[in-house]
Amino acid sequence: MLVVDNVSKVYGEPPAAYHALEAISLTIAKGEFLCLLGPSGCGKTTLLNILAGFESVSAGTVSLDGRRVTGPGSDRVMFFQDAGSALFPWLTVEENVRFGLKLRRMERAESDRRVDHYLAMVGLADHRAKFPSQLSGGMRQRLQIARALAIEPEILLMDEPFAALDALTRRRMHTFLHDIWQRTGKTIVFVTHDIGESILLADRIAVMSVGPRSAFRELIEVTLPRPRDPALAGFGELYGRIEGLLEDDLERTGHG
Amino acid sequence: MAESSVAVRRPGIVLPAGPPRSLWSHLRPVWMIVASLALFFGTWQVLSSFVFNPHLIPPPTKVFATAVPMIQSGEIFRHIGISLVRVVIGFIAGTLLAIVFGVIMGRLKAVNELLDPIIEFLRYLSPTAMIPIAVIWFGIGENSKYFLIFWGTFFFVLINTIAGVMRTPVARQRAAECLGATRLQIFTKVVIPSAVPYIVTGMRVAMASAFMSIIPAEILAAESGLGYLLQTSAMLVQTERIFVALATISLIGFATDRVFRWMVERTLHRYMAFVTST
Repeated sequence: MLVVDNVSKVYGEPPAAYHALEAISLTIAKGEFLCLLGPSGCGKTTLLNILAGFESVSAGTVSLDGRRVTGPGSDRVMFFQDAGSALFPWLTVEENVRFGLKLRRMERAESDRRVDHYLAMVGLADHRAKFPSQLSGGMRQRLQIARALAIEPEILLMDEPFAALDALTRRRMHTFLHDIWQRTGKTIVFVTHDIGESILLADRIAVMSVGPRSAFRELIEVTLPRPRDPALAGFGELYGRIEGLLEDDLERTGHG
Repeated sequence: MAESSVAVRRPGIVLPAGPPRSLWSHLRPVWMIVASLALFFGTWQVLSSFVFNPHLIPPPTKVFATAVPMIQSGEIFRHIGISLVRVVIGFIAGTLLAIVFGVIMGRLKAVNELLDPIIEFLRYLSPTAMIPIAVIWFGIGENSKYFLIFWGTFFFVLINTIAGVMRTPVARQRAAECLGATRLQIFTKVVIPSAVPYIVTGMRVAMASAFMSIIPAEILAAESGLGYLLQTSAMLVQTERIFVALATISLIGFATDRVFRWMVERTLHRYMAFVTST
């Protein structure tokens, strides 16, 4: 269980201080798929970086299963939008997946087993000798997923992972991630500005308000049956409701 | 999922075959080089024979005739060897020290801020400008040449190394951190490999600069080497020998760059692929 308790984040010193996040509280259950949804500049990536331990909190606490989160840990793996930067271009597909296992000095047999298992899971078993530069965008993102899963973390933190992909590939990645999530039971915190994406994937959607002093506008439970698609009854209605929330906020703050 | 791989130019990867190419299109680049050289030497020959004073611009046939005995006696190879050894020693020393400094400066902001202004001043002192003081410091022997090549190499490699280290994507470092890498491991296993393409680029530029600096150094203060050959030939107004030396300098520079690229391709190939965004 990941618990965010009254977290605030302030950049800089007064009077020039920027209050990015204010009094955010949230409990994410084990195995939950949570989407942080909001327009650009709403602090959703900041919150994700705090969960990852890349950034510190200015006030409040983050704890995972009762332990305070003070820095990055391999129980939480971050997943980046730009796979080209996040992957190691000088390592092959297989070596990328093995990177984290080697750091752990894992026994060869177990490390081989995991590499094979997760490469097969993401459908890259036939591409293991290739370099990332030889893969398509969707394949690179699947490689990132395999690399993250190989160290068997509890939580995947995903920062707009599919935003740079074309629509068709993005749709495929949704199905793919949904499938992986159901098979592995990982907790996923997924940042996006795409309402449709969040409804397709999430158990709960945390709709964030525009900064400064971003906070949750509303936590929406998505009860639509899985697997979902946009033609599902209730999808459009929920979409409209969230869109209304976001538009309100943009108008209120004069960003729209 | 049947997404196709992106074809990237890389040896060993076969690009999708287009329509069969004609023999002419295969040989075209070779023919163009032959034609270009023939045009150059032909024009030179004609101009030297009929327009210019052949004592000032000897025709290629005469230059070639002068080169043959110099090759047969081994004289030219002795000069090439001496110049090359100077370049290689100075280049390796300059590269190694620049990588060490560059990596530290790229990683430690305080060190960078402290040393950057000094480097910004010193890097405008070309090796040629440093010749007089180098001769006073090290004499006209080998050490002054090593120093000058070192000087010419150091700044190019240094600046590129710093840039490479600094531009290592934050996402890549954070990804490694999530996977369990310590600070030291991030440095050795992520930052340094990420900087390799920058370092290699710096080395190539430095190599070209080294060849350009060794000649003036040898002209002004040496008793051997290609620059010395130029200098003595000029004193005796042996223009043919000057042209032989000039042609040799071009050839050696060109060949060295090719050898360098070949070695990089053989050893550092996997580090040279830049992955752009998805």
